[in-house]
Amino acid sequence: MKIDPALVSRVASLAALELTDAERDALAGQLTRIVEHFEALRSIPEELLGAEQPAPPAPLRADVARNGSPGALVETNAPEFAHGHFVVPRAVMRDP
Amino acid sequence: MTAGGDEAGELLDGPFSALAAAVSSGRATARDVAEASLARAAKARDRYGAFLSIDAEAARRQAEAVDRRVAAGERLDLAGVPLAVKDNINVAGRTSTAGSKILAGFVAPDDATCVARLVAAGAVVVGKTNCDEFGMGSSNENSAYGPVRNPWDPSRVPGGSSGGSAAAVASRAVPLAIGTDTGGSVRQPAALCGLVGWKPTYGRVSRYGLIAFASSFDQAGAFARNVRDAARAFAVMAGVDPKDATSLATPVPDAESGLDAGAKGRRIGLLAEAESAEGGLHPAVAEAFARTADALRAAGAVVTRVSVPRVPFAVPVYYLTATAEASSNLARFDGARYGARDGEGSLAAMYRASRSAGFGPEVKRRILLGTFALSSGYHDAYYGRAQKVRALLARDFDAAFRKVDAILCPTSPEPAFLLGAKTADPLSMYLADVFTVPPSLAGLPAVSVPAGFSADGLPVGMQFVGPADAEPLLFTLSRVVEEAFGAGDRRPPGEVS
Repeated sequence: MKIDPALVSRVASLAALELTDAERDALAGQLTRIVEHFEALRSIPEELLGAEQPAPPAPLRADVARNGSPGALVETNAPEFAHGHFVVPRAVMRDP
Repeated sequence: MTAGGDEAGELLDGPFSALAAAVSSGRATARDVAEASLARAAKARDRYGAFLSIDAEAARRQAEAVDRRVAAGERLDLAGVPLAVKDNINVAGRTSTAGSKILAGFVAPDDATCVARLVAAGAVVVGKTNCDEFGMGSSNENSAYGPVRNPWDPSRVPGGSSGGSAAAVASRAVPLAIGTDTGGSVRQPAALCGLVGWKPTYGRVSRYGLIAFASSFDQAGAFARNVRDAARAFAVMAGVDPKDATSLATPVPDAESGLDAGAKGRRIGLLAEAESAEGGLHPAVAEAFARTADALRAAGAVVTRVSVPRVPFAVPVYYLTATAEASSNLARFDGARYGARDGEGSLAAMYRASRSAGFGPEVKRRILLGTFALSSGYHDAYYGRAQKVRALLARDFDAAFRKVDAILCPTSPEPAFLLGAKTADPLSMYLADVFTVPPSLAGLPAVSVPAGFSADGLPVGMQFVGPADAEPLLFTLSRVVEEAFGAGDRRPPGEVS
């Protein structure tokens, strides 16, 4: 299948990535070549394929409170930190 | 009287089991060995780009602690063994960039479990090694901090994504390095750099402290210059870990006591699909494959051909499923809590700007491919179908292992290629993984062992694949190959001693 620049833009939006026009156009060609190659999977007869395997159940940890804080590195590794919180741009805007 | 600098250097050139014995007996100190290794690591960083960070003071403190433990009578399997750690594996208090700009300056809060186990056994962390960004690459040309060069020929790649770890061991800066292997990222650079490299059965070594790429594939593995050292590293690193829900609770198989048992009576299957691999086999690889089969026959193995019919589909299955997992795992890098931040205005704008500035081209390509494979309208045809073929491939391996004890195939279809040879064509780079991704898809253990050289002096590696928990057999068979080819006798022109 052909992956055109519009589809690349849509997928990039889903992935929270911004692309220049040149990046988008180059990726459209590269991803088309990759995906067309991968379409070889369609040649496997359907009857050989079972249902998609569910993931095995993961063991659950005990539901008990514990200190998960790795300490001061949380603050020093953060781009912006104040009063025990990560500081980020405002997420909810009031209508003017 | 303990060994000085020159003798410490000689210990670095030999098997690390001998180095650990020398430190344990007091004939050498971990501190002297660490000094010798630090000097070599600096050269390996400057010549090959093998290291992203070297913390000499931390290494000295760790080495002195080992010397105190030895003096106190503690028995340590890895006493004073210098260790290099891929930069997507956490070491407490040291940077973990995973080869990415988005994690520049990030300091790990604690040790990965595999690192903690190695350090508890007496290893000394010399530095963090260069790698393809987030483990995504087969040549180590995708690091934000520059490529790694192969000590056997600096115009060629060391393989990837753990290329820095491979170059560190091949150049003799350290005798042991660890890496992550998602689709071959330990085994392929081991083959291209003339080393032994292994990935375990999925879950046998804890993933705690590894920066995730594709969680149903990611495993920690190790590089060494001989099979005995590689098996020792497995014995130390393996074991259940409550911090990793996918960690295996079953007993760790003994990989060391039967190392010299030989191949007599073992049923070895030559992977039939290797003969018709897309793109073909390099003549040196085809020749090494045949020679290795002959060596196993000469050692008494029963060598036949065995088919794993869905191997030709493994690259598409891997690159659809692993990138889908990556698109989810890498969503955490958004500039909010750690890593680089970019952009102004809204929260969403900050996310987009941080990710776009922080990720390199290959990481973006894989996130987009994975997001596409999972997206509405395409999921069933791509991700869903790939998952079904993945299950079919695992059944193929089950059937093959009813006929043979282990499968032999090349690790890589070609020896080390020139820097830049595949960067313009991502698909050709992906196809370099044709033999390493099948066991990763099925969660199986695999070992790459040196099996001679090409006419122009480049190492060639062969891979043994076994059923779950077959690590001991794979190391034993690798010993047979090692004995046959005298691996380790030839030294790379680019060693840094």
